[in-house]
Amino acid sequence: MNYVPGTASLIDDIDKKHLVLLRDGRTLIGYLRSIDQFANLVFHQTVERIHVGKKFGDIPRGIFIVRGENVVLLGEIDMEKPCDTVLQQVSIEEILEEQRLQQQSKQETEKVKMLALKDRGLSIPKADNLDEY
Amino acid sequence: MFRFQSLDEDCTLEEEDEGQIEEEDGIDQFNDDTFGAGAIDDDWQEEHKRLAGLDRTGLGAGLGLGGGGMGGESDLGGAINSTHLHSSAGHLPLPSSLKFSSSSGLPLPDMEDRGGGGGLAESLARLILEADPAIAGVGAAERPGPSSSSSGSSLSPLQGLERPRVLPQPSCIPHLTQSHQLPHHPQHQLPPGPSISGLPPGTSPMSMLSYQQQQHMLRRGTAPMAQMNSHSIWENSMGFGPVSVTPTLVTHMEDSPLMSIIKEVGLPKRAPQGRNDEARDLSERVPPPRSSSPVIGSPPVRAVPIGTPPKQPMSHALNHQIHHPTAVHVRAPIQHRYPPPFPERVSPNTLLNLANSPLCCGPFPPGVGPVLSQIQRAQLLNSQVAGFPRGGPAAPLLPGGGGFRPFFGGPPPPLGHRMGPPPPHCPPNHTPPIRHNTTHLHPQHRRMLTQRMQNRGGEHGRTGGDRRSRDPYSNLMSQKEKEWVTKIQMMQLQSTDPYLDDYYYQNYYEKMEKRQERERDSSKKEHTTKLITPQVAKVEHTYRPVQFAGSLGKLTVSSVNNPRKMIDAVVTTRTDDEEKREKQVWNKRRQILYTVEKMYSLLLEVQDFEKRFVQAPEEDREVLLEQHKSNTVQLCNSLREKEWDDRVSDEQCVMIMSVRKGKRLISRLLPFLPSPQSAAVVMAISRNLPALAKKDKQDQVLCWLVEPVSAVILSLSSSALTDLLQELQGNEGQLATVLHNKFGVTLLYLILSEGERMQSSDSNCQLMDDNRWTELVFSVTRELLSVPASSLSPPLFTPPNLLSLFSRYVDRQRLEVLQDKLQISSLSR
Repeated sequence: MNYVPGTASLIDDIDKKHLVLLRDGRTLIGYLRSIDQFANLVFHQTVERIHVGKKFGDIPRGIFIVRGENVVLLGEIDMEKPCDTVLQQVSIEEILEEQRLQQQSKQETEKVKMLALKDRGLSIPKADNLDEY
Repeated sequence: MFRFQSLDEDCTLEEEDEGQIEEEDGIDQFNDDTFGAGAIDDDWQEEHKRLAGLDRTGLGAGLGLGGGGMGGESDLGGAINSTHLHSSAGHLPLPSSLKFSSSSGLPLPDMEDRGGGGGLAESLARLILEADPAIAGVGAAERPGPSSSSSGSSLSPLQGLERPRVLPQPSCIPHLTQSHQLPHHPQHQLPPGPSISGLPPGTSPMSMLSYQQQQHMLRRGTAPMAQMNSHSIWENSMGFGPVSVTPTLVTHMEDSPLMSIIKEVGLPKRAPQGRNDEARDLSERVPPPRSSSPVIGSPPVRAVPIGTPPKQPMSHALNHQIHHPTAVHVRAPIQHRYPPPFPERVSPNTLLNLANSPLCCGPFPPGVGPVLSQIQRAQLLNSQVAGFPRGGPAAPLLPGGGGFRPFFGGPPPPLGHRMGPPPPHCPPNHTPPIRHNTTHLHPQHRRMLTQRMQNRGGEHGRTGGDRRSRDPYSNLMSQKEKEWVTKIQMMQLQSTDPYLDDYYYQNYYEKMEKRQERERDSSKKEHTTKLITPQVAKVEHTYRPVQFAGSLGKLTVSSVNNPRKMIDAVVTTRTDDEEKREKQVWNKRRQILYTVEKMYSLLLEVQDFEKRFVQAPEEDREVLLEQHKSNTVQLCNSLREKEWDDRVSDEQCVMIMSVRKGKRLISRLLPFLPSPQSAAVVMAISRNLPALAKKDKQDQVLCWLVEPVSAVILSLSSSALTDLLQELQGNEGQLATVLHNKFGVTLLYLILSEGERMQSSDSNCQLMDDNRWTELVFSVTRELLSVPASSLSPPLFTPPNLLSLFSRYVDRQRLEVLQDKLQISSLSR
C-alpha cells in the first residue's frame, strides 16, 4: 500500500525483485531491501547481468548499495510473468569474453572514425566525457 | 537563575537557562526536520562496555557492588565520558549523583560518615517527593505495582530507596570496566542527601543544573539505557512519564520509589537476556544523549551521519524526550493515545515522540526491544505477518511482552500503519486498513485516489504477502524506517504557497474538477471551487548567534537556518561621478528605445489600417478611421520635442535615428507623415547628416532611408529642394563628410537629379528664380572635383540625369573629370 498516496515512492518496492540500470551502463538485478530519502538503494542477492548481442550472463554480486544519483532507471520484475525471451544465458567467462570482444571492436571502429575526422580537421568529443565538463 | 557551576577546569561550556533550552529546541527541531531525527548518535563503545560488563559480571557482582550504584561522582563539565570513566576511579556517572554533587571528584564528606541506610534514604525520599509532585504522583500511582517480584518485599517508595544502591548496578556495570572502581563505591552511596537539603526548596531541579550538565549527565547516564537493558517497562514510562519531569528526575526516579518495581521487573529478565547475549546486536543499543555542546542553531551532533534511518523506536524516542523535555508538556494521559499517522504541522520530532511513546513496545513488546538483531527482527516480523511463529526468539517474547501491557494502561490499539501482531482469528495476510494522510493533495486528486484504491482492493496485497512470508530477508527495513523516509518525502510536499510551488498540479486538478462539474450538470454555471490544501505556517527561524557567558563576541554556527557564508563576494562600486554619467547614458538610451517602441506600435497600427479597413464591416469603418487619424496625429506628435511646438524637433529625430531601430522606424514612418512634416524630417536628416553618419558607423543602415527619402524629395517643391540642398551642404566641410558617406552621396544625387528633372521638365519652374540653386550646384561640383576619388563613396545608385545637370554648369573638361570620377556616363539612364 502506498504510504503516501498521490505520490511516487519506493516504499512499496521494498523486498521485491528489481532491475536497475546504472549510469555507467551496468544492469543489476536484485531484491530491493532498503531505501532512503536520496533513493540510495540496497540490493540483496544482486546479480549483474551483462548483455552482449543475444547472449547474457549473470554475475552474482551479493549485496549492493547503489548511490541514488547513479540510477538511471529502476523497475520491478514481475516474477509471475512468463519469461519468454530469445536471449540465451551463457556462463560468466563466456559473456565476459564476449563483452571484451565487443568493447575491442567498438574501440577499433572509434579509433578509425577519429582518425578519419582528424584528417578532415574535425574533432567530435567523446560522449562519455561530456558529463564531466 | 541558579547556576550550578562546575569547578572543573575543562568545563568550557556555557550554562543555559530554560529559556534558551526551549529556544534551542525550537530551532533544533527545525534542524532535525531536515532529515528527521532519524540519525542517532550511537556510542558503540559505551554500549559495548556496558554489555560486556553486564555479560561478565552478571547479577551477583552487581549486587555486590552495593551502594556504589547511587553514587558516582562525575564531571559536571563537558568532559568526555570514556576518558573520565577510565581516568578517575569510582566515577559512576549516575544522573542522580550528577545532579546533586557540587564538585567533581570530591566525595562529599558527609557521605562517608553515613553508611547509607535509612536516614539518608528517608531524606532522599522526602526531597524527591517534595521536589516534584509529579514523581510523588507517579510513585503513588505505581505503588500498586508489579505482578511478580522475586524479592517479595513490599514496595513502599521509601523502602525502595535502599534498593537504589543495588539496582542501578546492573545498569552501571558496563561503566565499571574494571574492579578498581569497586573500592570507591561506598563513597558514592547516596551523595545527594545533604546537598539536596541545602537547596532551596521548590527550586526546580531542572534549573539546578545547566543544560550542559544535564546533557552530560544524560550522556553518561546509563540508567535509562540500562533500564532498557533490563527490559523493564518502567524505563519507558519514566521516559515518557509526566513530562514536566526533567531528565534528571527521570533518572532520579529510577533511584527512588520505582526502583523496587524496576528491580522486580528487571531482574527476572536477566536470565533470558543472558541467553540472548550472543545474538544481541550491539548496534541496537540505545544511544546516549548528546554530549557535546548543543549550540543553538546547530544540528544535533551525530556520530552517525545525517540521513541514517532510525535504528530503534525506543531509543529514538527517548533521545528526543530527553533532548526536548519541554517539547511535550503535560502529556501523561495522552501518550497512550495513538495519534493519526501523519498529523499536519507536527514536526517529525514531536510526531515521533508521540508515535513512539506507545510504540515503544511495538511492533515488539517492551521486553523484547533491543535484543534482536536486524535479521531476527525481520524474521519476527515475517512470522507475525505470516501468522505462524518462527520459533526461537519469537515464542518466549510474545507472552512476556503481553504481560506488561497493563502497565501502559491498556492494550495499545493497533495503529494503522503498524505491523502489530495480528489477532489470531484474522487471516494471516490481513493488513489492517491503512489510514493515509491525503490532506496534502488536492481534493479532486484525493477522490480519484480513494476510488482507485478501492478498486484495486487487496488483490496485490495478498500475493505479495505470500511471497514475502517465504522470504527470510524481507522486512529488513523496519516500519519505523519506512515511515521515516516517507516522512521526509512528505515534508517536501508541505508548502506555504501551493500556487507557487505546485502550479501545474493545482491547475490540472482544478480544470478537471471544472470539467467534471460541467459534464455533470449541463447548465452553464460557473463553479468556483475552493482549493483546500494544507498550508504550513511559515515559521521564521531567526538565527541568534550563540554567545558564551562571559566571553566577548558571538559564535557563528552554521545550520539550516543560518547557512555558512561560502563565497566572499566583493562588490565593486564605481565612484559617484562615473556612476552618474553611466546612469545618464543608459537612461538616455533607455528613453530613446522606449520612445521608439511606442512609436512603432503606433506605426504598426497605422500600417495595418488599410487591411483592417477593408475587412471591417460598414459600421466599424468610421471608428477605424477615427482611430487611424488619432494614431497618425499621435505619431506626428511624438516627433515633436515639446507638446506645443509645431515643428518637428531636430533633436528628437536625431535621437530616434541614433538607434538602429529608430532609423528603421523613420524609414517606415515617412510615407505616412503629412508632407510638411516629412519634408521637415528629411531636412533634419540632411542637416544632421554628419552626426547621423557617425552614429551609423556600426550599423550602416542609413541606406534604409533612401527609398522613403527619395519619395519625399520627389514631392518637394523647388524652394524646398533648394533648402534641402543647402542644408545638406551646411557648414564648411559638411559636404565632404556627406560625400564620404554612401547615403549622403545618394541623397545628394537624388536632390540634384530632382532638381535637374525639375529644370528640364518644367520650363517655368522656380528653381532658377534665385541663384541659390545654381550656386549650390556650383559648390557641389567644385567639391566633387576637388575631392579625391577614393574618399568618394559610391552611391546606391546613380541617377541618369546627372550628366545633363553637370553639363549645364561645368565645361567639357570638368565634365569629363566628373564623368570619370562619378562614373556617370551618358548611357546610364
